[in-house]
Amino acid sequence: MSDEVKSAEAADSAEVESPSLYDRWNAVREREITVAVLTVVGVFLAPFVLVEVPEMIGIRTQYIWYRSLVTLALIWGIFAIGYDLLLGFTGLLSFGHAIFWGTAAYAAGIFSAEVSGSPIAMLLVGTTVAVLLAWVIGWISLRRGGIYFAILTLAFGQMIYYIFLSPLGWLTGGENGFNSVAVDPLLGFLPLGAEVAVVPDALIGTWMYVFVGIATILAVVVGNRVLNSPYGVVLRAIRENEQRAEFVGLNVWRYKLMAFIVSGAFAGVAGSLYVIQRSFVPIENTLSWTVSGEIVIMTVLGGVGSLFGPLLGAGLYMYVANIVSGMSGIGDFWHMILGLVFVAVVVLLPEGLWGGLSWIRERVAGALGGDDR
Amino acid sequence: MSTILETDGLVKEFGGLTATDDVNLSIEQGELLSLIGPNGAGKSTLINLITRMLEETEGDIRFEGESITDLEPHEVVQRGIGKSFQTASIFPELSVEENANIASLGAEHGAFRFNFLVHRDSYPEVEQRTLDTLEAVGLRDQRDTRAADLPYGDKRRLEIGIALASEPSLLLMDEPTAGMSPEETQSTVELIKDLQEELDLTILLVEHDMEIVFSISDRIAVLNRGSIIAEGTPDEVQGDPSVQEAYLGGVEL
Repeated sequence: MSDEVKSAEAADSAEVESPSLYDRWNAVREREITVAVLTVVGVFLAPFVLVEVPEMIGIRTQYIWYRSLVTLALIWGIFAIGYDLLLGFTGLLSFGHAIFWGTAAYAAGIFSAEVSGSPIAMLLVGTTVAVLLAWVIGWISLRRGGIYFAILTLAFGQMIYYIFLSPLGWLTGGENGFNSVAVDPLLGFLPLGAEVAVVPDALIGTWMYVFVGIATILAVVVGNRVLNSPYGVVLRAIRENEQRAEFVGLNVWRYKLMAFIVSGAFAGVAGSLYVIQRSFVPIENTLSWTVSGEIVIMTVLGGVGSLFGPLLGAGLYMYVANIVSGMSGIGDFWHMILGLVFVAVVVLLPEGLWGGLSWIRERVAGALGGDDR
Repeated sequence: MSTILETDGLVKEFGGLTATDDVNLSIEQGELLSLIGPNGAGKSTLINLITRMLEETEGDIRFEGESITDLEPHEVVQRGIGKSFQTASIFPELSVEENANIASLGAEHGAFRFNFLVHRDSYPEVEQRTLDTLEAVGLRDQRDTRAADLPYGDKRRLEIGIALASEPSLLLMDEPTAGMSPEETQSTVELIKDLQEELDLTILLVEHDMEIVFSISDRIAVLNRGSIIAEGTPDEVQGDPSVQEAYLGGVEL
């Protein structure tokens, strides 16, 4: 009997404290720990949902994701999260981010051949190089705004591409790429290509995925923290009204430079991971200007100005570029398909895929009677 | 009374045009000085020189006794010169509270801080100033509203709030009532008066509405073709024949 009374009381107090499930969800949604947990769950389930489930329900193999593509999508996702800090939040369009992705890739690759193949050391070296370059190139390019900034970054990108292609060819392997990358096991005893033994391999797969997954989670957590720091407000203020930001006494130029360097650091982490995964540095996929364009497309597809959007954009791009491109009949036209998808998203979902998902979430919330704006 | 800001032989030339012509203006601590003059008289140029948006051709500007001509605009703000813009210059896509928050960050943290990994919750002093700012301009209840969705009068009040968050010793107000309805104008004028009394603020006001200018100014300076042609109390300026000429006749194309 006493149990009954207790549970009745509990039900009462629960009703008072939480008017609806949706409101409660809304209250915790923005918390950093929630974001971290969601990312962990997402990264953990991604291979299962994208690779195993479609296979189980009998979709033909050529239409579904494969595991190393999921890893690659996360790597580009890290790049895109950092890029969005610059494009979506600060409002700066850089056409030169291949520089940071690419030089980090070369630095990590060359470091692995000459000094140490420890994945963590490669990551640190690649990222450091990217940060230093972002500092110098940002310092110069941010003297000008708008289209001049975009063109300056593009020009630096081309400059570095040609320097790596030819004058530094003895070191970088020129147009053949750098092919002496030698990646050691993680922490000295976990070969990246090996399956994780402790978990059913249907879930996670290789140590490579664990390594990239952890980096992705950290990237989301750090990105989210930046957005919740004073920088989150300051950068958006600069995007909205640069002059007013200057006239509340903020050194706009230095904040822009910081945004540029932080996004360069994300690009550096991603570029290093790319080389760790591929064990090879192809110049066309690292320093070419097309990389700078791809990252803009992914970010816009996913939704500029959101934290998770760029991850979705990277995923969609990877799917079209690697799976749709292999489909018989339409594969040869994958660039056109990507273009159509891009136009459709820009026209129908101006806030990208993430904006579309938010819209659906709000409809659902409305249907559930939640108090949503 | 002491002089808070003075310009010394200030000249600004754009090509062949002299927009500011040997201006010697001084503003005393605590006063409300209005700057008036016909269109094209050089009022905005003078304001932009003081805020360092423009580089002077000749002359010096001293704030609290020190030259500010080598400073960047944000450094001038950090020294204590605030500016309210001609059009409501706010951050439209951000909430009212975030607007005030940015201004509070500039005031509490200075021009730059390396704190991109520190959560905003770690700075209660910034939050407090944000609330105070919203309170001061009466927008606390609208704090979650997107700034772009505010009525025009409220946008102007928010803008003034942003300019005041840093507690400047001198506030430059560029046509604070431009585009406002008579009621909004009236409440803004009241706000300016209150601010001046409560915060012991010195104000340099640029305004077209002569009724407002003559009712709230301590002193008025009249600018025509880049130079000051009259300066004094509202009564003195009103009776000055050169002012009448500048406004009513003798303006050649």
